[in-house]
Amino acid sequence: MKKLVAVLLSVMLLAVSACAMAQTTLTVAGWDTATTPYYAAIKAGYEAANPDVTIEWVDLASQDYNIKASTMLSGGDTTDLYCVKELSDLQNWSKEGLVVPMDERIAAESYDMTKYAGMDACYVSLADGKQYALPFRADYWVMFYNKDLFDQAGVAYPTNDWTWEEYAAIAREITEKTGAYGTHYHTWTSCVANWAVCDGVNTLADGEYSDLKYFYELYQALEDDGVCMSYDELKASGMHYSGAFAQGNVAMMPMGYWYASTLMGYIKDGTASMNWGIAAVPHLESVPAGSSFGSPTGIAISASSENQDEAWKFAAWMCSEEGAKVIAETGTRPAYVSDAVAAVMASAEGFPTDETTKAALLPTAIALEWPIGDGVNEIKTAVNEEHTLIMTRELTIDEGIAEMEARAAEFLTK
Amino acid sequence: MTNDAATARRTMSKLERHNTLIAYSFLAPNFIGFVVFTLIPVIFSFVLAFMDWGGGENVTFVGLDNFRYIFKDFSFTRSNLGIALKNTVFYTLMTVPLTLVSAMALALVLNKAVKGANFFRAVFFFPYVASLVAICVCWNFLLMKNGPINQMLNAIGFNMTKSWTSSRDLAIWAIIIVSVWRNAGYYMVMYLAGLQGVPAELYEAATMDGANGWQKFTKVTLPMLTPTTFFCSIMMIISCFKIYDVVAIMTQGGPGRSTKMLVTYIFELSFGGEGIATSAQYGVASAVSMVLLAIVLLVTFVQFRGEKKWVNYM
Repeated sequence: MKKLVAVLLSVMLLAVSACAMAQTTLTVAGWDTATTPYYAAIKAGYEAANPDVTIEWVDLASQDYNIKASTMLSGGDTTDLYCVKELSDLQNWSKEGLVVPMDERIAAESYDMTKYAGMDACYVSLADGKQYALPFRADYWVMFYNKDLFDQAGVAYPTNDWTWEEYAAIAREITEKTGAYGTHYHTWTSCVANWAVCDGVNTLADGEYSDLKYFYELYQALEDDGVCMSYDELKASGMHYSGAFAQGNVAMMPMGYWYASTLMGYIKDGTASMNWGIAAVPHLESVPAGSSFGSPTGIAISASSENQDEAWKFAAWMCSEEGAKVIAETGTRPAYVSDAVAAVMASAEGFPTDETTKAALLPTAIALEWPIGDGVNEIKTAVNEEHTLIMTRELTIDEGIAEMEARAAEFLTK
Repeated sequence: MTNDAATARRTMSKLERHNTLIAYSFLAPNFIGFVVFTLIPVIFSFVLAFMDWGGGENVTFVGLDNFRYIFKDFSFTRSNLGIALKNTVFYTLMTVPLTLVSAMALALVLNKAVKGANFFRAVFFFPYVASLVAICVCWNFLLMKNGPINQMLNAIGFNMTKSWTSSRDLAIWAIIIVSVWRNAGYYMVMYLAGLQGVPAELYEAATMDGANGWQKFTKVTLPMLTPTTFFCSIMMIISCFKIYDVVAIMTQGGPGRSTKMLVTYIFELSFGGEGIATSAQYGVASAVSMVLLAIVLLVTFVQFRGEKKWVNYM
């Protein structure tokens, strides 16, 4: 009897493992995978093309993603692929041998790396010069605006070649005429300080911050005149930008392109109702119109993955034109951009159809939000901390900038 | 006869062994948890303080480099460790006495046969069991720029133009107020228990000797409560040095570095801050943890040394 049970059990085990062999399950770590539409689209798209593979998203909370993913990688978790949220995380993962280089596979398949507008370069390890991830999303910053408030105020919609002066004047005019907020600044450092890097020359890690002064002054003048909500109250109430704009009493909001899909979702489910559009972010006279900043989101293969070949196939598909079209359909901007992909982006359900918005899909230049390199993390912490002091007016703009420079200098000399 | 005695001994020892095994098996679940989740990490952290480790396979011994790094250009106004140390000590020095005084005051009032004493005890204990996130968010609203607290202060002549958490001077007080408010109820329960243990004869004797209320409080109640005060202050000092949660929810260490605490700094070194990639400087972070451990040990040691001087045990 015992023997019989043993034989039966082993047959069952064999059957189970045979099934597993036929059907590969790839686990992929991402953030907010349940609520962000493109994850489901990628899964559906890839599984349709590869019926022998099942994609399983491992959902990690957005604000804890860096910590959680790093811990899982260090701990040898068998999750096959990881989305890359922060560039410097990938640098660290590659340095520690937690993710695998892709160069050989890229060379073997002559994989097309030319369509990422250079965004793939930030996934090259500074330590060994190898490619450790491919970009599948590349969000850059645009200006979202509420067409209804513009109409109500009788102000012409923004164009893709406006300047920061014009932007401030329009914001004021709308507040005066409608009583709504002309613009909205979320509490992040990038919402005020990062405009200075759009020229592609300055970075926030170069230790020289006098170029931020113009943008802090612009912001404080608008805040003083009640054209935007005050930083102090936004911070204390913890208000999220998505809700702030969706309420409908904010005429403009500079934000990353990712907000488009959120807003489309809100309008679809009735959380928000408004006509909206996208324009390029304003520019300084000295910088070409349509210049912006942004960061890619990539996908890397864990060194602990037991399905290296399948994992590479998935990553390669996700970052190709096919994958890009699937991502674009959900209103998200893929890293791989061709005319065909741009056409898909513009045809997404609920996406604005005006020409300005369409043209804003192809920015002139995208500078990196933060460069990569040694000491950048420490400088970022210091700049963020001093930013809060300028924004709460605990320091004057000049004092704050001087502090940023003094603190960054400690890490630049290293 | 001797044979019998030997058998008895053997059965005894068998029984003993049996009992010991049972005891161990009851201890094991907790002990295994302690070893896996506390003891090993503590030892690991101690070792890491002398290593350079970014989370992967490369671990290198760096001697005292991590300590040199955190103590580099040490200053209470400029270096991260100095500022975190200053903030944590200030927070502890303010929170501990304020909590003790409020807890004792609440206990004294509620120890009397006040009408509805049980109801009030529950009310004051409630903050301790309520969700910390909810508490902190509520307090953030109360302490906002145009929030109720600022409006009251403005009405009596102050000039409050900012949210408390947006001011370098007041942000740490926001943290202190929330901590005191939250913990007072818990320590009130300790004091209530302490007060139950004060013998009524002592008060009777004091009354016979003509002591007034104040004298009874200072000469009887306070000395009799010193064991409770001793226990509460040690527990609280240790927990104050470990402050992290309230800061993380209310101010994230800001504005600037005005509420950056030791644990906030440790977290930042290992896991990054808001919108910042993980720094994964686990070695440096462990070095800061060792500094924290040393301080807590030192303070506790000093307190135990001082115990004999001011604590009365009956």
